[in-house]
Amino acid sequence: MAYRAEPPDGGWGWMVVLSAFFQSALVFGVLRSFGVFFVEFVAAFEEPAARVSWIASIGIAVQQFGSPVGSVLSTKFGPRPVVMTGGILAALGMLLASFATSLTHLYLSIGLLSGSGWALTFTPTLACLSRYFSRRRSLATGLALTGVGLSSFAFAPLFQWLLNHYAWRGALLLVSALSLHLVACGALLRPLSLAEDPVVGGPGAQITSLLCHGPFLRYTIAITLINTGYFIPYVHLVAHLRDLGWDPLPAAFLLSVAAISDLVGRVASGWLGDAVPGPVARLLMLWTTLTGVILALYPVAEVPTGLVALTVAYGFTSGALTPVAFSVLPELVGTGKIYCGLGLVQMVESIGGLLGAPLSGYLRDVTGNYTASFVVAGAFLLAGSGVLITLPHFFCVSAPTSKPQDLVTEALDTKVPLPEEGLGED
Amino acid sequence: MRALQGLRGPRAPSLPLLLLCFLAAVRRSLEDGLSTAAPFTSLPVQEEMTTKYSNLSLESHNLSVTAAPITSLPVQEEMRTKAAPITSLPVREEMTTKYSNLTLESHSISMTAMPMKENNKGNQICVDRGIMLQRNVTLERPNMPAEKNITLERPSNVELTCQFTPSGNLNSVNVTWKKGDKLLEDNYLVNATGSILYTQYRVAVINSKQMGSYSCFFGEKKQQRGTFNLKVPEINGKNKPLITYVGDSVVLICKCQDCLPLNWTWYTGNGSVQVPIGVPVNDKYVISGKHANETKLKITQLSEDDQGTYWCHAIFELGESEGHVELVVLSYLVPLKAFCAIAAEVVLLVAIILLFEKYTQKKKKPSDDGKEIEQGEQLKLDDSNGIENSGPRHRKNESVGQ
Repeated sequence: MAYRAEPPDGGWGWMVVLSAFFQSALVFGVLRSFGVFFVEFVAAFEEPAARVSWIASIGIAVQQFGSPVGSVLSTKFGPRPVVMTGGILAALGMLLASFATSLTHLYLSIGLLSGSGWALTFTPTLACLSRYFSRRRSLATGLALTGVGLSSFAFAPLFQWLLNHYAWRGALLLVSALSLHLVACGALLRPLSLAEDPVVGGPGAQITSLLCHGPFLRYTIAITLINTGYFIPYVHLVAHLRDLGWDPLPAAFLLSVAAISDLVGRVASGWLGDAVPGPVARLLMLWTTLTGVILALYPVAEVPTGLVALTVAYGFTSGALTPVAFSVLPELVGTGKIYCGLGLVQMVESIGGLLGAPLSGYLRDVTGNYTASFVVAGAFLLAGSGVLITLPHFFCVSAPTSKPQDLVTEALDTKVPLPEEGLGED
Repeated sequence: MRALQGLRGPRAPSLPLLLLCFLAAVRRSLEDGLSTAAPFTSLPVQEEMTTKYSNLSLESHNLSVTAAPITSLPVQEEMRTKAAPITSLPVREEMTTKYSNLTLESHSISMTAMPMKENNKGNQICVDRGIMLQRNVTLERPNMPAEKNITLERPSNVELTCQFTPSGNLNSVNVTWKKGDKLLEDNYLVNATGSILYTQYRVAVINSKQMGSYSCFFGEKKQQRGTFNLKVPEINGKNKPLITYVGDSVVLICKCQDCLPLNWTWYTGNGSVQVPIGVPVNDKYVISGKHANETKLKITQLSEDDQGTYWCHAIFELGESEGHVELVVLSYLVPLKAFCAIAAEVVLLVAIILLFEKYTQKKKKPSDDGKEIEQGEQLKLDDSNGIENSGPRHRKNESVGQ
């Protein structure tokens, strides 16, 4: 097999962008729109809403904690078979859920089975995307992640329509069919062999080397801190607005406006990340600081125009930080270790995500309003951006020459005969 | 009550005569179990009546329309004197004790007659004033009838009051009461305080015959009308059809907000014909209900024949109220076909993608070999010169690392 020296930066890479777009839509769009089903489950199983919402929580937790598993498997077998298996698992989970007779049944089928299916799809796809691009990495990631926002718009009415025509069992059956498209998306992920692959070794070796890698650990801490504060406005914005006296309909509309500016922010930041020279970590720090400042300003704004402006700005900056967050990692650890790296980051950052919303809710219960929650969220983001400053070559103007590349160079020098073997195989 | 109607002039002397006349009439109507005027006359069967109506709640509802005083008597005194025929009976104390623990409801609507001008301009002014005044009162536009919906569940004494402020002379206002289209002759009072005319109608609502629409009419230049609609509580079924599958079981729920019906019954609708659901065999239908204000019909082993509209009837002492739930029974094949179609499409997509890849790879193969040979030669060349090897490699890897 021929090892490419450089990522293609285009060509089949755009098909991978398309695949990642649909995958993020099918994984996170479904998770976000699942609330539509909850009303039906509450009525069908006669359980309180809190117990029903555990379904989505278990699904998200399994997806995030299972990311390293997906990464390890894709390092060994390549992303394509892993993602296709993940798609089949996710669809199977939904299929079994349509026969559910109790809530526990749903916890196991949707939460566990579909969750592990999703774990096997999302992380390998994003990692594969990072391998296909180098100069246009941020833009590609930004474009791919717009799938999440757009699908939340499309799936909520779609699921409601399905519920009206087929009741929840039939609707789950059809959502399972929809999730089968993950398999098709997986088929698009052509394996790519980059020059660093044979050097970095198997998944075990990768993980150990990553865990000893200083910049990687600091980056993981930064991302975890960012994740803790990131979701709080999405979870609590509507409630905060209601506290201030807004009606439910304008509040929900404002959330949609935030989602639109989030989309715009992702694409804009993706483009910007590629256009600006130097390490992408600086842009990440910029967006994170801005988001933190905006969140801290939230309690100060009482006037409707101020709140709308702040929400639009928050949507833009929080959307902007997502593609660059994914782009920093390949710069740090190299594209050879990207699968395992991304898996580990996702697993650790999920702790932040799981802690953030309940912490904010607890603060709200203790203090009586959302001021403390927003300020704490902003503080977490600012802390995360502070940790980012400690990343290597942060203040360099020119392109960095980080250690993994040196490692590769040495290894390639010693493994020169490899291409000859590859010739014989083809 | 003709005696009560004697507001317009003293009729005391003829009172005993009238009361005697009513004796026979009431007796007959008692046997029918109906009475509109009976409860307020003095009869030997007074005790029977009081025990029958001892648990009635007194509800009084007011529609206020402004009016002018007709008689010289103040309101309270008038009411008392007119109430006298009711209570000036041997069992007066019993009646009052029976009424003492009853709930009293009062509703009020007020109507004002606007000074009407002869031409249309008058309407405009009225509308302007209507908009200004709308902030204070519920219904003020002179051409719109004042209406009030009253929900009654149990038999009760109902007091309906209309309040009217006429623009002109109070005496010229003609006051009448109607139930539906039928003119009511008695049982109502008319009096006035200041420039406001009051009229009050009392009715003992015992069964469904007393339910309906009661209207008070004030005849001035233009007739003003206030309407009280006496209804039984409404039942909520479900607006959207319930979708279920063959072999499944479903629970149909009907409930009403704050009511306690005596009984619930279920019917299945077949067009306009309603067939009652009786006691079933095989436990197919189970009627239950945790609280008195709801009823649940559980249907097991659904089949496509069970599709259609189901009616729930709530039976009150004062009538019946119904709600409906629509049931749709689908076969499992319906979503299954859609699922198989989409699954087939996915398989097709995967096949296309993989075949396309194989095809392009086959095409690339001859040129690929050429590329690889090139690379191999380049590397061999680099090999021979170790120093040169590290140079270009290094640069390439840097760009890769970015």
